[in-house]
Amino acid sequence: MDVFDLALNLDEIERDYPENPLEYFKSKKLCLFKACLEKYFPGVRWGFHDLLEELQLNVTMCVNQSCCSGTFFQRNLITRAQFAAINERNLNEMNQIADIVFFSCNGCYNSLLRGREFLKIPDVKKKTNEILKGLKNKRIGINYPNKYEILENLNLKLVHDLDFLYLIRNDVLNSLKFDLKDLKVAIHYGCHYLNLSRDKRNIEEYIKDKTKLDELINLFGGIPIDYQERESCCGWGASQLIINPHEALKITANKLKSAQDVGADFMITPCPTCLYTLSKPEYREKMHKWFGEKLDIPTIHLNELIAILRGCEEERCITLRRKTPRLDEIFEIITKE
Amino acid sequence: MDGYTDSNWNWDFYNELVDDVEENKNIIQCISCGKCVGDCPATKVSNFNIRKIISRVLRGDKSVLKDSDIWYCYLCERCKRVCPKDNINIPLLIINLRNESFKKGYGPRYNDLRKYVEMSERFLTNGTVLEEPLDGGLPTERMEELNEICNFARINYVFKASKHKNKQKSKKKS
Repeated sequence: MDVFDLALNLDEIERDYPENPLEYFKSKKLCLFKACLEKYFPGVRWGFHDLLEELQLNVTMCVNQSCCSGTFFQRNLITRAQFAAINERNLNEMNQIADIVFFSCNGCYNSLLRGREFLKIPDVKKKTNEILKGLKNKRIGINYPNKYEILENLNLKLVHDLDFLYLIRNDVLNSLKFDLKDLKVAIHYGCHYLNLSRDKRNIEEYIKDKTKLDELINLFGGIPIDYQERESCCGWGASQLIINPHEALKITANKLKSAQDVGADFMITPCPTCLYTLSKPEYREKMHKWFGEKLDIPTIHLNELIAILRGCEEERCITLRRKTPRLDEIFEIITKE
Repeated sequence: MDGYTDSNWNWDFYNELVDDVEENKNIIQCISCGKCVGDCPATKVSNFNIRKIISRVLRGDKSVLKDSDIWYCYLCERCKRVCPKDNINIPLLIINLRNESFKKGYGPRYNDLRKYVEMSERFLTNGTVLEEPLDGGLPTERMEELNEICNFARINYVFKASKHKNKQKSKKKS
């Protein structure tokens, strides 16, 4: 067993629990990783959290967990060892309270897996150990066994929300009050889901087309539609959007226009960073001003959509402050009895 | 095709990069097919061309560290997925080149770093990148740990530079 491999083995669960994979999770302590951007989209967290509670799963959140720091690593503001140390600190804290951690954000999921992967490099592992040893010597706060150590026999496993929801899709379907009423949906997986190799067990799984979200939309009564820019980046690009907004928003505009032009009713994504980029009103205004594109296709996170389909109150599903235009219409269509 | 011969290849730069990050050794497999360029979001909107950057590295052209090109990568990892060769980790190479650029005293444009000042400040005071996070900031003890980890990190210098600047601004006002 690879001690650095943190990704939950979903194939094994499907094999051992073919009739009801949800059973595997009933005896586990589950934790939701707090993505920074959930602040703007609380439905991303609550949509998923409420579903887990309804399925009678034991779910919590780690008070001591920090931001994954992926954005700082990508801009070279922290080294691989510092990044790995921040990750190990987070993993240590979550390991105290959980067996499985769920991720609503592609970037956070990628970061935790990547931080562990760096520990395969002896030099980085050595430097990470030195940093953690420094913390140990400072004796900060309450101590517990192995607090500042790289846990070689970590029981903790990580899984993306989308992969989990796909695994238990029949249970999710049974919890829904509404369906998508043949709405046409443009799927945006996001780069750090589409191009992620770190949680894949073989090369085929890595390079093949991703279809889980398409299948879920089908299952929920929607129609996933193909569009030219389906696999393109949302435009965030590891903060390129805040550094070179004029160039980055061209990518965002092309993506949204491509989906709008084929008649998509809305776009869905499993990542709040992508959602932020695709839905922020100021960005839509800039795209209109700079490129003359009036883009009003609504965008929504998978967890928010599930909350709507389960009949949750609007405030709990989707934040009111940062709605894209026409999201109200979609909400009305879906929830019409 | 570019008019280069074997005598143009200079392995010093490549060897330095491999010494620093062993995985970089795989870039020698690059056959310059251009698949990475075809799918690259940065190429669509700028002059960024990863095929040319790899070519420059393999020819020992260290001026690539001075240019702004390496800072345009979106780190989407699409190139890594479409590359027909095994294990060429292009995004890791870009991060490594950026690191070398910093070490040589070049780094990104000053204005680019300024955009990170607020996020750095929030991370080192709250443990998140946004103001007023959904569940409040980290407990004080956890912040101490985070600051200890980042003690000698560039993020800390960006944060300190912002504090120094804010201090100067408030002195001028008073």
